[in-house]
Amino acid sequence: MSLPDQALRPLRGLIVDLSGQTFHTEELAVEVARAFLGGRGLGAYIALRERLYEVEPLSPQNLLVFAPGPLTGTGAPASGRYSVTSRSPLTGTVFDGNSGGNWGNALRRLGYDYLLAGGALDAPGYVEVTAAGVRFHDAAGLWGLDVPSSLARLKELQPGAESAVIGPAGERGVLFASIVNNRGRSLGRGGLGAVMGAKNLKAITVAGHGACKPPVADPERLEFIVYEAEKLLKANPITSTALPEFGTSVLVNVLNQAGAMPTRNHRESVFESAEAISGEMLKKEHVQRRAACRGCVIGCARRTTAGGQSGEGPEYESIWAFGAECGVGDLTAIVQANYACNRAGLDTITMGVTVACAMELTEEGLLPGGPRFGDARAIVELAEATGAGTGLGAELGVGSARFAASYGRPELSMSVKGMELPAYDPRGMKGQGLAYATSNRGGCHLRANMLGPEILGVPKMVDRFATLGKAGLLINLQNLNAILDSLSVCKFTAFAMKEDYYARLLSAVWGETVEPQELLLIGERIWNAERLFNMAAGFGRVDDSLPRRLLEEPVPAGPSKGHVVDLPPMLDEYYVSRGWDLGGRPSPAKLEKLDLAGMALAASGCP
Amino acid sequence: MLQQFQQIGRDLFVAGVISSHGGNMSVRMGDRILITRRGSMLARLEERDIIDTGLEENDANVMLASTEIGVHRAIYQGTSAQAIVHAHPPYAIARSLVCDEIVPVDSEGSYILHKVPVVATELTAGSKEVAGLLPKWLKEYDIVMLRGHGPFAIGHLLEEAYQLTSVFEMACRIMTIAEGMGQQVKEYRKGSERYETW
Repeated sequence: MSLPDQALRPLRGLIVDLSGQTFHTEELAVEVARAFLGGRGLGAYIALRERLYEVEPLSPQNLLVFAPGPLTGTGAPASGRYSVTSRSPLTGTVFDGNSGGNWGNALRRLGYDYLLAGGALDAPGYVEVTAAGVRFHDAAGLWGLDVPSSLARLKELQPGAESAVIGPAGERGVLFASIVNNRGRSLGRGGLGAVMGAKNLKAITVAGHGACKPPVADPERLEFIVYEAEKLLKANPITSTALPEFGTSVLVNVLNQAGAMPTRNHRESVFESAEAISGEMLKKEHVQRRAACRGCVIGCARRTTAGGQSGEGPEYESIWAFGAECGVGDLTAIVQANYACNRAGLDTITMGVTVACAMELTEEGLLPGGPRFGDARAIVELAEATGAGTGLGAELGVGSARFAASYGRPELSMSVKGMELPAYDPRGMKGQGLAYATSNRGGCHLRANMLGPEILGVPKMVDRFATLGKAGLLINLQNLNAILDSLSVCKFTAFAMKEDYYARLLSAVWGETVEPQELLLIGERIWNAERLFNMAAGFGRVDDSLPRRLLEEPVPAGPSKGHVVDLPPMLDEYYVSRGWDLGGRPSPAKLEKLDLAGMALAASGCP
Repeated sequence: MLQQFQQIGRDLFVAGVISSHGGNMSVRMGDRILITRRGSMLARLEERDIIDTGLEENDANVMLASTEIGVHRAIYQGTSAQAIVHAHPPYAIARSLVCDEIVPVDSEGSYILHKVPVVATELTAGSKEVAGLLPKWLKEYDIVMLRGHGPFAIGHLLEEAYQLTSVFEMACRIMTIAEGMGQQVKEYRKGSERYETW
């Protein structure tokens, strides 16, 4: 067999049936790899194929697709990543989380391109994957442990193996529980940890060290392209200076100065204490040292200390969620709230925004004795209580949309499709509003972030307050991010690299030319496949919206004063640019072009 | 959008990469194209000089569009371009008459371009031959040189395509100046011998 055949090959899957405690392997045709790459794209393909839009997210029928990408473990820049895809219990949409760390690399080294876990264990347990196959273990002594303790215990039980675990939040079914690996690298946001917990699955360990490296068809060519790509990463001030020195929290002052820092449950967009919670302050007061995912030249992670504790992070979005969004300017408390989430296995954005929602309900007189804006102690206590399922924390574990609705004020949830908005106020960057509204996994900055063109000037600066003319730019970002999540490569590389670099990297790995245009078409296919899933799950134009506050309440002060998001014309332009009708449905011609017509037919319920 | 056309058009002229009535630009808006008017002066664009026409289908406005409308449409249909800049930079044109590909030697050109292919056609302006050829090349390269005529550069925004055009012309100018010194150019870049394979 020639080298190119080895590198671009049918996708090898490990299928784990938790109910029967059995496993087998399967192969997907090489055409699936060409059409969906791996990672998120492969997850979307399997989610559609298995009709997960028909299953209850927390039922045994739901599946978890663990999938690295074709660049994982090859030496491509920042490529030590993998995705997990399922139907989200928080949003009901198709949902993938993406994480750095070594887990995906370990799976690839065993020769697998994905692991599919279905069914449910009778009692809490964990799964061990080695070159010899799969073993099912009792989770006695593990179940109930927090994330750091679980990872440490598994290191003793399975020396040399990489572990993806859940914490107490996932065990209890908190709808925004995360899966965590490598000390604190999380697959967060949509409750993938709860899906694992519902399956009684505490962890999956993979012993891939010492096994073969993923095949590369043209290592010499890959080395050349990696060298050229790293030249760009080292020359770009975002990837070479700002992120390594300050981490993502470097954005606090940038967003605040732009008047795009949502504050006190998005009532305002400038936070008066931003300086106190900035990346500069984090570096000065809390950072011990930098950290990086395997093979990354950027190194954006932080090892920090606060109040006698130490841990990973916080990232910018976590600082914002517990900080500005809750009106808290106490950085020590914010770092500790972040630790509490990391221990419990909770998504920090949703946790912080849900606390902010509770704070507004309190101030509105609907939650007597509840937390108030600015209460630093409350953010730590409520994060801990949510992980433990006690007190008000038990109520917050459903996320802000369900929580606010239960108090009769659904409009106070700052969410889209049930998932909380992150740290970029779309009234100060209108394109981001369109990005949130059209995101296919709910309120999210990782499907596409207009921070680049609207704030940082990447690739070039556009008028952040302009409403129209941004659909093409956003669509390109959405398609590109779908590619990055499927290859799997860190999105931060895109601050310095354009799509042609990813195409050249993949060409070297596969041993055949992949043009940038072809890659973007794959991204478009993945985006439309996810859209088909969501349509089959009942989502449509009405769900492509924003919280009423952002559409109707002008920003009261600061650089974005007076602005709201005028969404309908942006949506129209977006749908037309996507080749969809004004109801947000992909046209038959578009589906035909993307080779999705068959999947669309199946998802529509036709025989 | 008009302002973007005006600023880039003015810059192209001031930079000396177009003549008074040369060059053209366009932006894709879904299934529509905004393209400069045939015979317009890019340094003095007004609202009437930006023509709105179909990406795939003709309408009455096509009469007013740049003579390169067919090439622009083909590029949008065949690539991920959201914006196109076509200029007539003199140093790049001169070099295209003697080279089959242009590999910059300066740092900026090396980082951003690596290599620019030169494509030759019998009919160079607004021809179907150009429309058929260029998209294939622009799938792999963001800027491609049409021999004796000028480069077509693509980007997500006009500014990006303009930047490529500007960097390309500067790279050609630097090569011309360096060669004029009559001495061997000293190599300073690791792996530059592989740029031809970019």
